Amino acid sequence: MSTVLPAPRATAPAGAAGDGSGVQPRGQWWTSPRFKTILLYVVSIAVGFGLSAVLVAVTHGSPSKVFTAMFDGSVRSWGSLGYTLDNMAPLLIVAAGTIVTVRAGFFNIGQEGQLTIGAMCAAFVALKVHPSGPLVLILALLAGTAGGAIWAGIVALLKFWRGVDVVISSLLLIFVAGQLLSYALSSPTFLQEHGSGGATLTESDQLSSKVQLPHIGQYPNFNFGTGLIIAVAVAVLLGTIATRTTWGYRLKVLGFNPVVARRIGVSAVLFGGAAIVISGACAGLAGSIMLTGQAYRITPTFSNNFGWNGLLVALVSRNRPAVAVPVAFLFGALQAGGGFLETTGVPTDLVNIVEALLVLAAVFPPALMALRRYRLKRSEQAVAAAEAS
Amino acid sequence: MEAGQRPEEPRSSAAPALEARSLTKRYGAVLACDSVDLSVRRGEIHAILGQNGAGKTTLMNMFLGLARPDSGEIFLHGRAVSIADPARAASLGLAMVHQHFSLVGPLPVWENLTLGEAGRIDKRRTVTRIREVASRYTLDVDPLAVVDDLTTGQRQRVEIVKCLMKDPEVFILDEPTSVLTARESIELFRVLRQVVRQEERAVILISHKLDEVLHATDRVSIMRQGRLVAERPTSGMSAQELARQMIGHDVSLRQVATAVGHLQVQPTEDSDATGPGASAPGGTTEQTTAGPPERSEIALSIRDATARGLDGRLLLDGLSLEVRRGEILGLAGVEGNGQKALGDLLSSVLTLDSGSVEVGGKSVDLKQPGSMGRSGVGVIPEDRRQSGCVLDMSVAENLMLCDFASVSSRGFVNHRRMLKEAARLVTDFDIVAPLLDAPLRSLSGGNQQRVVLARELSRSPDVLVAAQPTFGLDVAAVEYMGKRLREAARSGVAVLLISTELEEILDLADRIAVIHRGKIVGEMSRREADLERIGMMMGGQAA
Amino acid sequence: MNHDITTILASAMRLTAPLLFAGLGEYIAERAGTLNISVEAMMLSGAYGGAVGSSVCHSAAIGLLWGIGAGLLVGIIHGQFSHRLQANTFVVGLTLNVLALGITNYLLEKIQMTPRQVGILTIPGLSRIPIIGKPLFSERWPFFLLYGLVPLVWWVVQRSRWGLEMRVVGENPKAADVTGIHVNRRRRQGLVICGLLAGLGGAYLSVGEVGTFNSDMTAGRGFIVIAAVIFGGWTLRGLAAGCFIFGGVDALRLALPALGYTINPQLLIASPYLLALIAMCFFAKRLRQPAALGQPFERGAA
Repeated sequence: MSTVLPAPRATAPAGAAGDGSGVQPRGQWWTSPRFKTILLYVVSIAVGFGLSAVLVAVTHGSPSKVFTAMFDGSVRSWGSLGYTLDNMAPLLIVAAGTIVTVRAGFFNIGQEGQLTIGAMCAAFVALKVHPSGPLVLILALLAGTAGGAIWAGIVALLKFWRGVDVVISSLLLIFVAGQLLSYALSSPTFLQEHGSGGATLTESDQLSSKVQLPHIGQYPNFNFGTGLIIAVAVAVLLGTIATRTTWGYRLKVLGFNPVVARRIGVSAVLFGGAAIVISGACAGLAGSIMLTGQAYRITPTFSNNFGWNGLLVALVSRNRPAVAVPVAFLFGALQAGGGFLETTGVPTDLVNIVEALLVLAAVFPPALMALRRYRLKRSEQAVAAAEAS
Repeated sequence: MEAGQRPEEPRSSAAPALEARSLTKRYGAVLACDSVDLSVRRGEIHAILGQNGAGKTTLMNMFLGLARPDSGEIFLHGRAVSIADPARAASLGLAMVHQHFSLVGPLPVWENLTLGEAGRIDKRRTVTRIREVASRYTLDVDPLAVVDDLTTGQRQRVEIVKCLMKDPEVFILDEPTSVLTARESIELFRVLRQVVRQEERAVILISHKLDEVLHATDRVSIMRQGRLVAERPTSGMSAQELARQMIGHDVSLRQVATAVGHLQVQPTEDSDATGPGASAPGGTTEQTTAGPPERSEIALSIRDATARGLDGRLLLDGLSLEVRRGEILGLAGVEGNGQKALGDLLSSVLTLDSGSVEVGGKSVDLKQPGSMGRSGVGVIPEDRRQSGCVLDMSVAENLMLCDFASVSSRGFVNHRRMLKEAARLVTDFDIVAPLLDAPLRSLSGGNQQRVVLARELSRSPDVLVAAQPTFGLDVAAVEYMGKRLREAARSGVAVLLISTELEEILDLADRIAVIHRGKIVGEMSRREADLERIGMMMGGQAA
Repeated sequence: MNHDITTILASAMRLTAPLLFAGLGEYIAERAGTLNISVEAMMLSGAYGGAVGSSVCHSAAIGLLWGIGAGLLVGIIHGQFSHRLQANTFVVGLTLNVLALGITNYLLEKIQMTPRQVGILTIPGLSRIPIIGKPLFSERWPFFLLYGLVPLVWWVVQRSRWGLEMRVVGENPKAADVTGIHVNRRRRQGLVICGLLAGLGGAYLSVGEVGTFNSDMTAGRGFIVIAAVIFGGWTLRGLAAGCFIFGGVDALRLALPALGYTINPQLLIASPYLLALIAMCFFAKRLRQPAALGQPFERGAA
């Protein structure tokens, strides 16, 4: 049977360059599409905040107090800003990796699992390799990256060998990863804390200070973990590769149109597989940074939704690396603000609610605009179809 | 079975089942149907013969409610009707068997056939109805079979039953045998014969196959360039005459009239002056093709290429072709005879079950993506939107699509260099693209095509494949394309021009080959070109 | 020995029921072509809705209705965003999961409630059958809805016109569109029904089994449901088998230590996902996913 490739994707993946508006005729600035877009975003986000405020008010809370607390906890002071940045780092790395995969046209949603596996591998190296020291730290980070890469490699393998949908396999592997972690934590040979007998789930030992990612600065002054530097470096690196190198361009072609990609010599297996593995590696690295930079020990619920949130960052920023940075900051701020919320007696879950509403608010405007564009295109196509016959 | 609103008055057997009078349809500047008078009688199989673009599809669309005529009338059994939409056409009893099947694979036949209906599903009744219709025409259709498991012939039979179940008065088939084996075709015509004989229905058969028309139909209407040029009973006709009517004598100035031996050819004229400019009265002087040196080396050699599609259909059937450097080989044929597969093969998108391809004497590994491109084969594909360019990427990016490395240093794409190169190509090829960073989508169709052309030519290919290069382009763009192709040939590129437009091939090609059912059925030089012969070959008759 | 088996079977039934309720819904949604990952949100909302409803209205039965309504709401929101606005369905699904967890946790702390539990219904005679009698015929009464729901869903999907159109929408949306079927509307309907059934499943968990609502009560069951649909090859029989196997494995996991056996608990917990993966890998020919699963539909797009 000869190979004939499937038709290219009907809709361009989110974040495609522009919408073909090209040169604008001069008009009032308040009727221009760009302004309308910004207005739509502002209104959406306001509605998101508004709904959260309503929720708080309805349950006898004080919206102003809540939002102030969140603000305090995230950006008001230098200390909290540092905390925000620490949260931002893994999100940014995961998002950067995800963007690469989406550009290739594949949809890996298993970052949560890849992150977990990465953290596990890093923990293993950090705890078991003696003597501790900066070299071990680096090894741990590399091990974590490799772990995440291999976990995503399974997804790629299943796709190109057996045709298993990337979405499905990456999703299922998240939960397998969770159980692997749980197993490792209950087994002394792997990660279980020393000194606790019995088969109950525990955490791992604490990492020795020699394998912890150093912090720059000191709380409560401005401080952040070196993980952030790594994150920015990775984001810049991947962003540059994706948008500036020949490899990145060819990847983009694969994402838009696999048929054309094959014509110009881009192998879906090679490029697509590499993209998936890279996103796994990023998630693994993020997990390692979380371990060595903040948590210092690994627990059963270690990943704490950072994988999911990183994915959301990528999707909300519509796969643009530059936009991912402020979005990751925002998500990080929300997480940090949530920690502060406890002190006001408001459950931290509110933060998740606000975050979810904001994501929906961010997704609404482009969806609405796409709908309008599509309706316009349909009427144009009806005319064109008539002409073609 | 709901009959819908049919003309209720007693049917006069004198009135034709379906009649069109002065039916005209214009799409912008194109006159798709020009005052067509068609008359299809009850109890007959009526063929509509014509090349691509002759207007057959538009005519059928008007009968099926997919297009409104600009002027003219349609009569059903002598009564004037207005067909506003497909539902109305269906209720009037006009049904079409689709060329590209609309069946849903994993579902069984009976579920597919009840799909368009409303109301409760009654499996038993549907299955009984299917079996009834199938047995009435001795059609072997199993209502419980899953569509995915059926062969193409069987699927078509399902489509026919689907149609028959609506109890149509007029039954339209569009190139039905293009996907069938010889035996299945014979079977199909037996069924059609039964349909018209037993129940006095009418069948319209759209075809380009001359032997089919001659042997299986009662009357034939021949369309050419939007007009109905002849209507005859087929029993008196010969293949040659059909071909002649289909291609026509009153061709445009662009046609190389020497090919038909009509115009005087000056004895001193050498092969240089075979362009229309030289001898056509009042014609514009155009660049002429020098013609290749007598026996230049073979640039592209395809041997015994055989390929099957995903559904098992034979796409290429032992196709063998050679193109020499500096010549334009025009591959003529009616759409759907393997041109797309050939284009895909030469784009490294299709792999062969057997056979080989050599470029410049070196074998090409078809399994590697991009191997053709690397071997020096440039392709302007048939469907540029799907496989020629990436509409969502910028103009500049599309121009550099095949070779980003050429505007990169150390792996990094130099955006400025890319823009510069792009600007150069834009000027060289007269592309109207004010913003090189704008998405390709924003350009007109003609300019998009020029972008593809520019990209392929700029890489100095050894072989250039142009598949339907002027499809959907205006006159100026068409001329430009022709000019560039001739230039390419002159500079030593081997050009393979795949086109369904015979005029285009006769205008540009040095040699002509005809493709039919996935293989080459004949070759000749332009000087030997005989329209009748070509027409017959396109119609499937070896000549 | 028999008693042990009965106990384990009963436990398996109790664990299977919520999965099967939600599974029926997800089955419908996926046959229509939506890979719905907000099942978790639907179930959790249903669980919370059930608890709150039973508390507010002092009736467990009405609580069930509230639970169904909560799941329905999630389904409606998902449908509107995904198949009307064409927003990325995974973003919406994920977000709904976060939202549901956040809102239910938040409200759990803020609002006091005393949920009720539905009563146990024992069918006389049938429940006396040895070994399987009690597990199958002596359960909380909503359990028995399953006996009717499974054939009903089968009939709707396989025999009704609506079901036929849903299946076509999931296999070949273009053909469906050409026939005049409204593709996105069917997908929205599929999601809404999924919400309804998953909400019922969640409500069964809180109002039926446990009797109260705990934080993150569903604990990922929504994803197990997805695994069950995949494992079952998008057939109803497979789904039921999958749910029962997964429920059974969970029951075993809980029961085995007491009985003296030790099997790696993590392996058992991970088994649904592993089984689904293995099924996808090696039975690809028989497990046909709806051809258009996960692909958004826009009429006229390429």
